[in-house]
Amino acid sequence: MTIQIKIKEIKDLRSLPKFTYILAILTALGMSTGLYRLYAGLGATTNLSTVFPWGVWISFDLTMVAFSGAAFTLAALVYIFHQHDLHAAMRPTVLFGLLGYSSVLVILFFDLGRFDRFWHFLVYPNLTSALFEVSWCIAIYTTILIFEFSPVIFERFNNQKALSIIAKITIPFVIAGITLSSMHQSSLGALFVIMKPRVHPLWYSILTPEFFLTSSLFAGISTIIIGSYLSIWMYGKTLPQKVIEKLGILMPWLLGFYFIIKIGELIFTHELNLLFTSGIFSVLYLTEMVIGVIIPLILFSMKKVRTNRQSSVIAATFVAIGVILNRFDISWFTLKPLNGVTYFPSWIEVSLLIGVFSGVLLVYTLLAHFFPVFSETMGVEKKPEEKFSPSQVMEPSIGD
Amino acid sequence: MAKYGFLIDASRCIDCRACLVACSAENNVPMTHTRIWIKETGVTGEFPDLKRYTAPYHCMHCVDPSCVSACTVGALQMNKDGIITYDKDRCIGCRYCMYACPFEVPHFEWDKQLALINKCDLCVNRLEEGQAEPACAATCPTDAIQFGKRDDMLALAHERIKNEPNRYINHVFGEHENGGTSTFYISPVPFEELGFPTTKLTESPAEFNRMTTEKGTPIIAGSVLTGMTGIYLALEHLEKKNPVHHIEELEHSESTHEKE
Amino acid sequence: MTTTVSRREFLKLGGAFTAALAVGQMLPPMVAEAARQSGYLNAAGDGFVPSMCEMCVWRCGLIAKVKNGRVVKLDGNPEHPHSKGNLCPRGQSGLMNTYDPDRVLTPLIRVGKRGEGLFRKATWDEALDLVSKKMLDIKQKYGPEAMVFSSTHNISQPLFENLLYAFGSPNYGTQRSLCFNAMIVSNIMTYGMEEPERSYDKVKYIILTGRNLMEAISTSETHDLSFAIDRGVKVVYLDPRFTKTAAKATEWLPIKPGTDLAFHLALLHVIISENLYNQDFVNQYTVGFDKLASEVQKYPPEWASTITGIPADTITRIAREFAAAGKYALAHNGWRTSNFVNSFATERAIAALNAIVGNWGTTMFPSSGEESGALGAPPQPPFPRVSALRLDGVPWKYPFVPLKLGIFQELRDAIVKGDPYTPHGWFISRQNPILSLPDRNKTLEAFGKMDFIVTVDIFLNDTAWFSDVVLPEASYLERYDPLLPVGDKAFLRQPVIEPQGDAKSALWIYKNLGERLGLGDYFQYKDEEDYLKQQLAPLGVSLDEVKAKGYVQLPGEGNEGSAEYKWNTASTKIELYSDSLEKAGFAGCANWEEPPQPAPGQFYLLTGKVAQQTQFATQNNQLLHKYSDEPRLWMNAKVAAQQGLKDGDWVEVTSEVGKVHIRLLATEAIRPDCVYLVPGYGHLSKGLTTAFGVGASDSVLHVSYTDPVSGSQALTQTFVSVSKIADAPQEKTRKPLYLGE
Repeated sequence: MTIQIKIKEIKDLRSLPKFTYILAILTALGMSTGLYRLYAGLGATTNLSTVFPWGVWISFDLTMVAFSGAAFTLAALVYIFHQHDLHAAMRPTVLFGLLGYSSVLVILFFDLGRFDRFWHFLVYPNLTSALFEVSWCIAIYTTILIFEFSPVIFERFNNQKALSIIAKITIPFVIAGITLSSMHQSSLGALFVIMKPRVHPLWYSILTPEFFLTSSLFAGISTIIIGSYLSIWMYGKTLPQKVIEKLGILMPWLLGFYFIIKIGELIFTHELNLLFTSGIFSVLYLTEMVIGVIIPLILFSMKKVRTNRQSSVIAATFVAIGVILNRFDISWFTLKPLNGVTYFPSWIEVSLLIGVFSGVLLVYTLLAHFFPVFSETMGVEKKPEEKFSPSQVMEPSIGD
Repeated sequence: MAKYGFLIDASRCIDCRACLVACSAENNVPMTHTRIWIKETGVTGEFPDLKRYTAPYHCMHCVDPSCVSACTVGALQMNKDGIITYDKDRCIGCRYCMYACPFEVPHFEWDKQLALINKCDLCVNRLEEGQAEPACAATCPTDAIQFGKRDDMLALAHERIKNEPNRYINHVFGEHENGGTSTFYISPVPFEELGFPTTKLTESPAEFNRMTTEKGTPIIAGSVLTGMTGIYLALEHLEKKNPVHHIEELEHSESTHEKE
Repeated sequence: MTTTVSRREFLKLGGAFTAALAVGQMLPPMVAEAARQSGYLNAAGDGFVPSMCEMCVWRCGLIAKVKNGRVVKLDGNPEHPHSKGNLCPRGQSGLMNTYDPDRVLTPLIRVGKRGEGLFRKATWDEALDLVSKKMLDIKQKYGPEAMVFSSTHNISQPLFENLLYAFGSPNYGTQRSLCFNAMIVSNIMTYGMEEPERSYDKVKYIILTGRNLMEAISTSETHDLSFAIDRGVKVVYLDPRFTKTAAKATEWLPIKPGTDLAFHLALLHVIISENLYNQDFVNQYTVGFDKLASEVQKYPPEWASTITGIPADTITRIAREFAAAGKYALAHNGWRTSNFVNSFATERAIAALNAIVGNWGTTMFPSSGEESGALGAPPQPPFPRVSALRLDGVPWKYPFVPLKLGIFQELRDAIVKGDPYTPHGWFISRQNPILSLPDRNKTLEAFGKMDFIVTVDIFLNDTAWFSDVVLPEASYLERYDPLLPVGDKAFLRQPVIEPQGDAKSALWIYKNLGERLGLGDYFQYKDEEDYLKQQLAPLGVSLDEVKAKGYVQLPGEGNEGSAEYKWNTASTKIELYSDSLEKAGFAGCANWEEPPQPAPGQFYLLTGKVAQQTQFATQNNQLLHKYSDEPRLWMNAKVAAQQGLKDGDWVEVTSEVGKVHIRLLATEAIRPDCVYLVPGYGHLSKGLTTAFGVGASDSVLHVSYTDPVSGSQALTQTFVSVSKIADAPQEKTRKPLYLGE
């Protein structure tokens, strides 16, 4: 399958895609179930229980943070490691990161028993609490993401003064952002360190913070790769192939490192035998490893894959599945159910998630429509007489 | 430092639930919630060879509590007497403590709009007012719940087992679990049969947790900060020496490398 | 007599807390409302007041913690022998009883039909005027005996009896025939006292017949039994159900209902025929041994084994073990053993068992009783002569039943039959006969015959619900009662808080009603405190002193633990055989009476207590409701399976007098031929907002059977059939709160 790309100098979307309206409806519906939750309490609206006080919302949060790690990973690559050719991906990725983190904060708000006290972490510290740390880091980091995204806003309003100030202080903010991201990505893993009795031994490790941090790196990269493909469908925009390829080169290293530390930890703690003797848990863990790590590792080591958009996306999808599964495994599927009580989300929980995720896409779309988010991306032209068929090749041209 | 302790004897408990009612009255616990409850084997065996054991259960007041280590806003704290207290004005209802606690103690007010946690606080206010025992221990008609200095209660637990090895299994629940607690149980049957959480932990994960949050995360932060700064400065310096026009090259190369 | 209570002082307890002098205030009714809305009570900080519990007849001494004019906690009084510092769950829930949002806080006068629950509020004057007028009308038209008075025995009983006897009625109903007439009459016939005291200090072997002490809690005795088991005392427990006492007993015998008598007769047979009894004691202190011996000849263990279902070897062994413990053995007289008509004979057998091993002075002691000569009382004239027969047949049909016990179910039956005459009015104080008497439909019929019914109560309990006037008594935390002697002390009940609303103490109610009835001479006290001062007068102690400590030491009663070897019987000895019983045409000593048995497909309907409720009175208490088991019908699991019944199914339970619907509990903990229903549920009154609609009433099913000797009601002689209700709603069984959330 081949894709036709045409480079355009279009700074923003010409018109709001039709699916925006659907997103708006989904967002409204989802948020209204959220409001109902605020009114009726968690017991009436969720299937959470004493045995499973956290559910799909927290799993979603963990996953979303991992994928939103695209922002800091890319920022590191571009600004610290000076990979300027990856800069094209900066704005869409930062926006996704910003909206992703915002969605995490929104879901967390709905999840709190005392949502009216969400600000308490600012004034009541507990320095040994991983969740306290996560709250602060995410709060500050979201601010930094706003800062990193602000050039898009200022550019729209042609505020050159602001732009130049920002350009001067970008680097310290980026470094702060990467540091904070490393802290909270790992602290989300640290959350599980205290849950020793509940977390399955295959997943429990004092290195969980490091596992989470590492996986957030390749989760982030897969976000960028997949995102660039999805945006062809959604917005008719994408990233240059070189960008995709360069990101792909990093993958085998990151995945390989992850594999080594994960399996190494099992060996070191004499838990390797559990890998095959834990029934359904073995299946889940091996699925994570094979689908999420080994297969994409092999794929991304092949130049054929890295230089082909579709293959890269497929390989990145494997990675993404592995990360989603990992976060859901550790926070839900493999958590020891007590007294035989299990958990499955209620329709309200799912509806709020759909609403929030639609909200992310909705805001993304709206911002992309009104602001130069895609300023450095490439346009994708579709032949008008047929539905978009990726099999046609078009001559790229500069300018339109 | 853990000053107080309980000795709870499942062979003495008659499941009268005076302790449950006393706790509710003493601590103004809402009618749909409870800070203390009964663990039971239920009626086991076949008629007429039947057995039944019960024991009241509440916060274990761990020596190194996981909940205190985990609580996001520090609503759960250990006071000077080793009592794990709960500040309901700080709590945000995040429920992390429910996962941290290996004894399944904190309960959440699921039925409320603005919901908090419920947990035994060893009647800390009652003790501070000068009453000798928490409500549950004070009222128990069979002394199934005894209260005193932690060391005394632990010694008494072992002494009772030693004196009546046929009456109790040789295990004091709460002595080593989770790194040690202030609530000691002795029982005629294995604790799993009573429905006790079968945690094999003999160290408190609070220790690991502190290592991770107080050492691990700062190390990560520090190394990333210095690493990124260092790499940035180094690469910036190199680039200044060999400037490259990246952007234009990229645009030119696009046009030739698209087709598959 | 003041109508509002004046100054109250919050008192010290042993100097541990400083007294805060607070001016007495009437708590506004919104306290109850606040309790309802928040579901719990609220606190700030004041003092401690010693008083006495009234959640059951054990009347443990308590110490109430009061903050800002509210009771916030109750604890046991370490100086009271019945609590020894502990309180059972009902005792702990007592403040919720006082603050129950369903409290009746003003006099009520019925406006709708009886049973509709429509009342209007009235002042005390209006209500008492109405009550006295109605009572005097009845007295004038039909004679004083046309007024029936009934009350559950309590500390103010002497004043209640003043009302009834001074009025001139003989018709006195107490709950005792539903409880322990068999035991009391047997003890009176054997030992010349209502109930000897038991001591667990030296006991080594106990036989408990029924008397589920771990659930029918009497705090100090439950404590003693538990500690006895702790130190290795052997406890043999007879019960068709595996109760919580069975779980603690050394040996549980799942005996067939109604056959406790056979078991005990066989024990007597073994001990006597094998010469294991204490000959010296028997010769010196008992009469009628030979006649007893020849009677029990007929009852070997093999005979008893076929009747009871307990192996003969077991019976023989237990008899030998019991006798081997000698004076350190104790056969507990319980309340009414298996609750059959033959329970009187069983009690006689138990009394004989204790006597022949000679445990008097070691594990059994003379009772100090509730009367104490040392206390004073207001003067009163003698009661008028009563010529009318008592409706309950005491003593003209039942010569051995003491007047103050009576036979309540016979009283009710006589009302229904109108034989020997029809009464027209019923005065009920702190009692719930509609739910407590067997055969509820018949009780409602009896109520229907009354021209006038007045009830003194603190809630709209079922009987109050059906009354014409309801007079609100102050709860036990809000009132004075007369001093109660226990052991060598007389304990005080004093108000811990001001009575809420218009509620008044019984002392006040009876006096004010009595005065309107022209019986003021029998209530010669100004107010409650004056009454108490008159009680204390012979002791030369001030009321303030007693209030501070909560009790007064009684002179000359300090010989607890020493036994007198004289009994208040005709022979002044322990009567193993009673000539008076023989003369009256009854068996002189325990002998076998065959109990009835259920037909095939039917079950014995067992009754029995739970630790979290007191009979029919506490189901509305939210603190107890919170931790109570869902009331269900127990059935043996295998039998249930055979009948196609599953745990949680709705079933219909039918007896010859009524039927109820209830959910099933399939359990191993009960004999296959029995079912069990916890008493006290199925309230009819909608004024009990927590209790209404919960469970079903066993009184609907109970058939009235009266033991001709003691007047005891045989509750377990009722047989029922159980069938599934086809189109019952499917409900998931919710996890009860006492098991955690």
